[in-house]
Amino acid sequence: MSFTRLLCLTLLTLLAGCGEPQQDPNVDYDQVYPAVDGGNMINAMTGEPSGLIPMIAGESAASAIASNIFNSLLKYDKNLELEGELAESWTISPDHRTITFKLKPDMKWADGQPLTSADVLFTWKLVTDENTRTPYGSDYKLVIKAETPDTRTFRVSYQEPYAPALDTWAGLQILPKHLLEGQDINTTAFARNPVGSHYYKLEQWRNGERISLIRNPLATQGEARIERLVSRFIPDAASQFLELMADNIDTMNLNPIQYARIFPSRPDLTQKIGLYKELGNSYTYLGFNLKRKPFDDIRIRQAINYAINKQELIDGVLLGLGEPVSSPYKPGTRWTNPELQPYPYDAQKAIALLKEAGYADHDGDGILDKDGKPLTFEMLTNQNKQREMSAVLIQRRLKEIGIDARIRVLEWASFIGRFIKTGEFDAVVLGWSLSLDPDQYSIWHSSQQAPGQFNFIGYNNPQVDRLLEQGRLELDIEKRTKIYHEFARLLLEDSPIVYLYAGYGLPAIHKRIKGIDDPAPPAGIGHNSHEWYIPQPLRRLEISAQ
Amino acid sequence: MRRALSNPMAFGGFLIIAVIMMLALAAPLIAPFDPEAIDVKSILLPPSSTHWMGTDGLGRDVFSRMLFGARVSLMVGIVAVGIATLIGIVLGSISGYYRGWVDVFIMRLVDVMLSIPTFFLILAVIAFLTPSIWNIMIVIGLTSWMGVTRLVRAEFLSLRNREFVMASETLGARDGRLIFRHLLPNSLTPIIVSSVLGVASAVLVESGLSFLGLGVQAPQSSWGNILTDGKEYIEFAWWLSLFPGLAILITVLGYNLLGEGLRDALDPRSSN
Repeated sequence: MSFTRLLCLTLLTLLAGCGEPQQDPNVDYDQVYPAVDGGNMINAMTGEPSGLIPMIAGESAASAIASNIFNSLLKYDKNLELEGELAESWTISPDHRTITFKLKPDMKWADGQPLTSADVLFTWKLVTDENTRTPYGSDYKLVIKAETPDTRTFRVSYQEPYAPALDTWAGLQILPKHLLEGQDINTTAFARNPVGSHYYKLEQWRNGERISLIRNPLATQGEARIERLVSRFIPDAASQFLELMADNIDTMNLNPIQYARIFPSRPDLTQKIGLYKELGNSYTYLGFNLKRKPFDDIRIRQAINYAINKQELIDGVLLGLGEPVSSPYKPGTRWTNPELQPYPYDAQKAIALLKEAGYADHDGDGILDKDGKPLTFEMLTNQNKQREMSAVLIQRRLKEIGIDARIRVLEWASFIGRFIKTGEFDAVVLGWSLSLDPDQYSIWHSSQQAPGQFNFIGYNNPQVDRLLEQGRLELDIEKRTKIYHEFARLLLEDSPIVYLYAGYGLPAIHKRIKGIDDPAPPAGIGHNSHEWYIPQPLRRLEISAQ
Repeated sequence: MRRALSNPMAFGGFLIIAVIMMLALAAPLIAPFDPEAIDVKSILLPPSSTHWMGTDGLGRDVFSRMLFGARVSLMVGIVAVGIATLIGIVLGSISGYYRGWVDVFIMRLVDVMLSIPTFFLILAVIAFLTPSIWNIMIVIGLTSWMGVTRLVRAEFLSLRNREFVMASETLGARDGRLIFRHLLPNSLTPIIVSSVLGVASAVLVESGLSFLGLGVQAPQSSWGNILTDGKEYIEFAWWLSLFPGLAILITVLGYNLLGEGLRDALDPRSSN
């Protein structure tokens, strides 16, 4: 063999070794495999976290990763009911002002130090400290006294009963006192090198590239099965999708087009990637500026509500992958009033309501008018394809009943800064994320209308105000449910916003990952991700995930 | 004109522009569908005999939207360049004819304007105004007159010392007569060439703005916003990116060919 041939052969061998290792195409992903430990799961994130202390970092990428590293006192189970995480149990005093948490015994941080009530107290002090730059402090500042009678007991007292309190303790991730005491939480190196108590601990953080987490053998909730979780930073959703198809990532959230159009036409993809549906965490709405005419008139708002065909929006914008909404809660959960139905599509009723409000087409231009003023307004939305498409569909329906709605699409920062905070808008197409606690005081209470606060549409209904105040004080879950059912009923009747739809979350997960709960429970597909496993024959042929 | 069109490049460009303009003008007659008619049952259909260029994310017929979009793109191009040319001629004439401190002032203004990246200037201005087709035309016009100004000034400077101009001046012709009868008509060729080339870049700017969501607003279509719609589905609905992309390419090519061809044909200095 000549030297040149040898060189060629060597080069070819080297080239063949490049690129991502591929799975044997004959592997049967649908076969049943026994549950085993080990393997790597790779997901994609659009952004890189600024740090991994959840109360400081704030962005969703940080909380997604930190939720695998840190525990809270409480958590939501798969049916979205509260249960203990670090806490073994909790008791509420008869006057509803004091909550006592009993921690599980013998818990340890990933570095082997004991996890005690002192860590919980330390974390509470941090989140309420004036010097801590966190947006989450306000709920915890309602605590007037926090104490630790012993290493397993943590007790908090409130000035008056505060029903969302338990939910707030499911949201506060506990940090280790022994590593953070005396440090500036805003700038500490701990943010880049966290030590937690949950299923995983940080293995490596490559700037701009990936974060990999490795199983924590001392995890307080028992060990997870998958050995390593790798999060790659891929800012562009289209690139993420290409990576998913190329088998370089295992999970991502799809959009309806990818889910309903691309996948069904690609048997090579459906053979190796499983598609799931879960209830989304937000709903999209058309909100009116109630301080402006004509939206101060309930008949106009209701007319618009009747004139919008919600099913058409779900079919057109979400390709059927969503649900209509009639209360501001996750459909199917306890807080959703089952008796409420969305306003049906009824153009005639809409026209009748507008007529009753004094609108008619006096000048024959096809647009209704009253006192010489045409019924016209501007719908603002941000650069979000689904919202833009919804606005176009709404515009068409409103035109049919003689309302001229214009659309203006804005970049997010100027949308919020120039229009929402200043109240300079007629109507908006926007979305609200749903929290698991039903308290929506900050969104609907009439006192929350200052610039920058969430009741920017200017909703003011004394009855609703009263219910929201009662709901915060009521700890009895049945009574509380009734309060929020009534609140949702009033809200629907008043129609300060038109509920458009709640889209499904559409996770795609590679079929090498087993143990997934399908259909997804209310808490979502990831609720048992610590039980997921990757059978040996299905693992990527990787030497290392480094 | 005949001399210009005998140039094959100019003729090719002219043909392209003529066809596109005719399609745009006849859009209501040719378009098989209402460009704004939504049909949620036929979302993202590939090109077929019913929908020649497929449908978009709301089931609207892309071919019809392309035809109506052509009107927007061409109108923006022509009006914006019209504004720019007008400003350019006025400032360039003043600068070239009167010279002195007026010339210095106008030329420094041109320098300042040229030092600002035009597209970002337009972006900034549009972000403060309501995006509409009229605002876009005006803003593009107001930010792209500098080339014409320099051109007109240069022509005036060279023509000013020519015998026929001096003769006319000696015979007592007033400024207005000199400018409008002698200088301007003799500067027309480069102005026309640069305007034609300017339309091409205005079409591109409009498409860019619409692509960024700052241009023509929904439900009105323009090539730029059809292209934005396509971005979302690029791995699946290629027709939403291909057709507007091609249309922009061909139009800009058409104007550039016409412009270059006209220059070759009309400018004695560049003929060979």
